[in-house]
Amino acid sequence: MTFFACTFVTVLVALIFITFVFYTAYPVLKSEGLSFITGKTWSYSDNVYGVRLFLAGTLVMTGLTLVLAVPLSIFTAIFLSEFAPRSVASTMRPMIELLVGIPSVVYGIFGLFVLAPIFRDHLNPLISGALGFIPFFYDSSPQLGIGLLLASTILTVMILPTITAFSEDAISSVPNDYKEASYALGATHWETISKVILPAASAGIIAAVILGMMRAMGETMAIVMLLGNSFNIPSSIFDTGYAMTSKILNDAGFYIEQATPRSALFGIAAVLFTMEMVFVAIARKLGGRI
Amino acid sequence: MNKRKIHEHIFKLISYLAGITTVLILFGILGKITIEAMPSLSLYYILTPESDSPRFGGAIANAIVGTVFLSVLSTAMATPAAVGTAIYLKRYAKDSHFARMIGFVIDVLAGTPTIVIGLFGLLVLVFYLRPITGGFSLISGSIALAILIIPVIERAAEKAIERVPHDIEEASYAMGATRWDTLRLITLPYALTGIVTGIVLSIGRAAEASAVIILTAGYTQFLPEFKVLANERLLFGIKIYPFQDLVAALPITVYHAYEFPHFVSPSEGFAAAFVLIVIVMLINATTRLLLWKRRIG
Repeated sequence: MTFFACTFVTVLVALIFITFVFYTAYPVLKSEGLSFITGKTWSYSDNVYGVRLFLAGTLVMTGLTLVLAVPLSIFTAIFLSEFAPRSVASTMRPMIELLVGIPSVVYGIFGLFVLAPIFRDHLNPLISGALGFIPFFYDSSPQLGIGLLLASTILTVMILPTITAFSEDAISSVPNDYKEASYALGATHWETISKVILPAASAGIIAAVILGMMRAMGETMAIVMLLGNSFNIPSSIFDTGYAMTSKILNDAGFYIEQATPRSALFGIAAVLFTMEMVFVAIARKLGGRI
Repeated sequence: MNKRKIHEHIFKLISYLAGITTVLILFGILGKITIEAMPSLSLYYILTPESDSPRFGGAIANAIVGTVFLSVLSTAMATPAAVGTAIYLKRYAKDSHFARMIGFVIDVLAGTPTIVIGLFGLLVLVFYLRPITGGFSLISGSIALAILIIPVIERAAEKAIERVPHDIEEASYAMGATRWDTLRLITLPYALTGIVTGIVLSIGRAAEASAVIILTAGYTQFLPEFKVLANERLLFGIKIYPFQDLVAALPITVYHAYEFPHFVSPSEGFAAAFVLIVIVMLINATTRLLLWKRRIG
C-alpha cells in the first residue's frame, strides 16, 4: 500500500506537470492554430506567435549534430566492442562516461571561449575557402566564430557518450553464434560487422540515436551561448540561428507574469514535449529505455 | 591484397580513429578547462563567499554550498517517491497494462528537456506558490530538480530490483515469509547498492541541471543562513531561512561568465566550472566504487 502511494505521488507529479504544460499553452495554441507551427513572426507587442524560426533552428541544429555524431559514436562503439583489446575497452568506457559528467553550461563556455576563436580564425575560413562555392558551406559573417557549426560540434560531444554507450550495448548483445556462423562462411571481420552484427543490432542502435537526438533537441545552456540567438533560419553551417529552448530561457524571466506571452512560451514547451513523446514512444517500440 | 582485405583494413582504421578521437576530445576538453581555470583557482576563491570578496565573481563559496544544498535536498525529496515506485512496479504491479503505462509516463518525464521543467517551476513554484516557496528559493529549486531526478532514481532502483535472483525470493516464500518480509529482509538488502548508486548519481544530475536552477533558485552572493524572520508576504507571516531564501549555485556562476563578461572573466568561469566538474566527478567516482565493491563482495 505504501508503495502504491509512492507510485501514485510519482505519477501524479508527472501528470500534473504534463497537463499543466499543455493547459497553460492551450489559449495561444487555440488562437494561433496551425500558424503557431508555421508562423514566421514572434511578437509580444503584436500578439502574434509562430515558432517556425525557432523550430527550424532546433531541427537544423539537431540534424547537423546527428550528421557529425552518429558516424563517430557508432564507429567508437564498434571499436570498443569489436576491435579494442579488453583492457583498452574497459579503461575507455569510464572515460567516455566522464564526458557525461561535464555540465552543459561548462560545454557552453568551453565552446564560447575556447572553440569559437579557433573556428573563427582557422576552421571556418578553411572550410569556407575550400567549399564556399556551395552556399551551404559559405561563411557570410567571417568575424563570428559562433553559429550552427559550433553549436552542433559541442552538441556532438555532449551526445557522443549516450549514442556510444547504448549502441555498444546493442552490438554486444548480438549472440556470438551469429558471428561465428559468419566467420565459418569465410567472411572477414569487417564483413561480419557490417553484414551480420550491425543489422542484428540495428533496432538498438536506432533507439540509441533517438535518445541522443532527444538530448540534443532539449539542450539549453550551451546552445543559448553558441547558436547566436539571431532571428534567422540558418542556411549555411556558419549561420547563426535561434533554438526553441533558447527562446524559452531568454524570455521566461520577462514574460512569465503576463498571461498571453506566458501561454506562448508554454506553447514552445508543448511543441518540444510533443516531439519528445513521439520519440520516447518510438524508442520504447525499439526496445530502448532512457 | 584483395579488395576484401583492403576494405577490412580501411574500416578497422576508421574504427580505431573514432575511438582515438573520442578519447582525445575528452582529454582536450578536461585539460583545456584545467589550464584555463588555474590562474583564478585558489583556496581564497573556493572558500570565500562572493559577498566577502571585493567584486562580483571574485569568489564562489556561496555557490558551492548552494549547489550542495540544492542537490542533497532535491535528492532527499525525490528518493522516497522514486524508490517506492520502483518497488511497486517491479514487485506488486508486475507486467500489467497499468504498469506499462506508468513506465511510459516515467520515460516521458525522463526525456523531458530540462528547460521545460525550469519553465514549469518558474510559473508554478516561483510565481503561483510564492507565499509558500518564497519565490526564487532553495525550496523552489529543489522541488523542480526533484521532478528532474525522480526518473533517474526510479530507473536505477528498477534495474537493481530486477537483478535480485528469483531463487532467493522464492526460498524466502517457501519458508513461509510474507511478501513484506521477503521485500524487507531479502529483496531490498540485495538491491541496496544498486539503489544507492542511483541516488548518488542523481545528486550529480541535480548539481549540473543549470537550466532548471537558473529559472527557479535565483542567485545570491551570500552563504545560506539559518534563521526565521517575520515576513508578511509569506504564509504565516514568517520566512524560514535558508529554504525560502535565494540560493546560489555553481552552474549559475559559470553562466555569469557568459552573461556578464565585463565582470566575470573567462578564467573565473572556468575555475567555477572546474570545481563543478570535480564535484560531479567525485560523485560519479563514489558510484563506481559502490558498484565495484558489490562486484567483489
